[in-house]
Amino acid sequence: MSQDGLKSLAEQLVDALKIRGTPQENRPVHSFGWGARGEFRPSTVAQNYCKAFHFKHGANTADGLQPGVKATMRFSNGAGTGQRRDSWSDVRGMAVRFHKDETTATDLIAMTLPEFFASTPEGFAKFARKANYAPCRRQTPWEKLADMLHLIQPMPDPYPGQTERPDEGAISYADTHAEAQLAVLQAASIGAPQSYLQATYHAVHSFRVTGEGGTHMVRFEWRPVEGVRPFDDTDLPDDFDRDNFLAPDLRDRLKPSVDGSEVKTRPVRCALMMTIGENGDNFTDPSRPWPPRRKRVFMGMLTVREACDTDKMSFNPGLLTDGIEGTDDAIFLTRIEAYRYSSKQRGGTPCPFAEGR
Amino acid sequence: METPPLSWFETFVDTLPQKAWFRFLSNWVIVPYWNWRDPKPRLEGGPRPALQPSENLQRMMNLVMPLSDPSPIGRTRAAMAIAQNTDEIFGGLDNVGTVHTARFVLIGDYLCMLSVYDGNFSNYIRDFIVAVGSVFDAVMELVEGGDKLIPTAHHVEEFIAWVHDHDLFQVPDFPTDLFALQDAARGLGPDAPPHALRSLSREMILQFNANPNVSLGGGYRAYPGISAAQLRQMLGVGW
Repeated sequence: MSQDGLKSLAEQLVDALKIRGTPQENRPVHSFGWGARGEFRPSTVAQNYCKAFHFKHGANTADGLQPGVKATMRFSNGAGTGQRRDSWSDVRGMAVRFHKDETTATDLIAMTLPEFFASTPEGFAKFARKANYAPCRRQTPWEKLADMLHLIQPMPDPYPGQTERPDEGAISYADTHAEAQLAVLQAASIGAPQSYLQATYHAVHSFRVTGEGGTHMVRFEWRPVEGVRPFDDTDLPDDFDRDNFLAPDLRDRLKPSVDGSEVKTRPVRCALMMTIGENGDNFTDPSRPWPPRRKRVFMGMLTVREACDTDKMSFNPGLLTDGIEGTDDAIFLTRIEAYRYSSKQRGGTPCPFAEGR
Repeated sequence: METPPLSWFETFVDTLPQKAWFRFLSNWVIVPYWNWRDPKPRLEGGPRPALQPSENLQRMMNLVMPLSDPSPIGRTRAAMAIAQNTDEIFGGLDNVGTVHTARFVLIGDYLCMLSVYDGNFSNYIRDFIVAVGSVFDAVMELVEGGDKLIPTAHHVEEFIAWVHDHDLFQVPDFPTDLFALQDAARGLGPDAPPHALRSLSREMILQFNANPNVSLGGGYRAYPGISAAQLRQMLGVGW
């Protein structure tokens, strides 16, 4: 597809994903987010696989650790609705920018869903139109009974106050598009995390990485050191805010504590794991995850230290650096254009590094 | 927006899955009805063929063998058959060389051999017969239908088929792949046409009816994609 074709398709996608009535300055999806700063330290083996600046192994610092690079990240809820709904089932996002210096950076964009909904941009455009937010209702008891008699789990009831959702449209699309079934099934039951930093995030695209040990086709994922934990709504205090607890949770986790005259920070960590693809794996189809039997490499540790504002920041999956390349994955290429278009539309700060890549 | 209160009928239907009588009705009427209407073929056990090297490493065998005498005496005989041959089993597995772990387990009325091996399944069992065939002869004496395969060294292909038949079906890593496995077992192409996504729960229930004992997914590996031979070499432990 030509660059112009990609751009046009990306614009259609962004427009299709927009939910009626949401403010223009919102992202079309992943509207509500929370920003943070920290650093990323590579593992001792990372540079064998990738020569990118953030995986370079250097002399240990005084604390016995690898020198890290600065990182800025944004955690988000997947929905593009005008209201934050932290306890609702939704795909969460984690965008990380690794900073080499003031002029060089690279992004890694990941989500809690391990695969994408479509294998082609055209398919995704169709999916986005079909699975857009639409009025929803509770199934009647007779409909539920009919489902049970067919050994089918009834649709979940809408949350209190929920009038629209994408589920029915997404399932209807998946019924006729097998490649969307896994993502739709998993998205429908993904739930909510107890904390943004207690979920696994998958960068669903394949990348070609080059290091001392040659070139490999890989996929990345973030694994929280504190473990994965779904939201537990039992025994919550009366004043618990179900709509807005994820950002406060992180603020609380990172809040420094004072011990006498010493101020202690409480960083939270995420491990970056890299899975190595093999001949026979699909490197250009993000709708198909790789089985968990591929070789896995620990590439480094991200330490989240403090909150910061990232709402105007424009991440882009195409912001790569020497040592990491994208593939011909058409969804990946379209997303690059879609992120640019969306950023422009909402008046985001254009990414100074991404242009021309 | 205020959510209207549920009617008694809505509450009644919502709580049906928790009610013992409804579970009874489901197990004894609804599932058998669907099983009659849309029976599922029993799916093959063991890992499925794949080109990728890591799919051929650290493969799992969950061999479940029904004891001909599941009484405590029969189970003791099975335990003794294993215990008395530990040297032969361990030495034989060293000689096979591609086995990461192997153990025998007694669960209910079954003697199980759970092992993790590299490479081709038939070759693994063939090597196994050569290395520890006499132990398996002792085991097969205690297993339903096993007497016809003794001595295993003289019934190699039948023994391989028997083991494959008693190896647990491995539920796919990605649940929607079940549709394609069921289609393939019926000689159909995958997803032509695609299945209704919400029917997956019924397909699973009916499949568990055909394959009551299964391995749930391919399992976790701490060091995936690495063979037993590579590990030994990296660890510098010889052979």
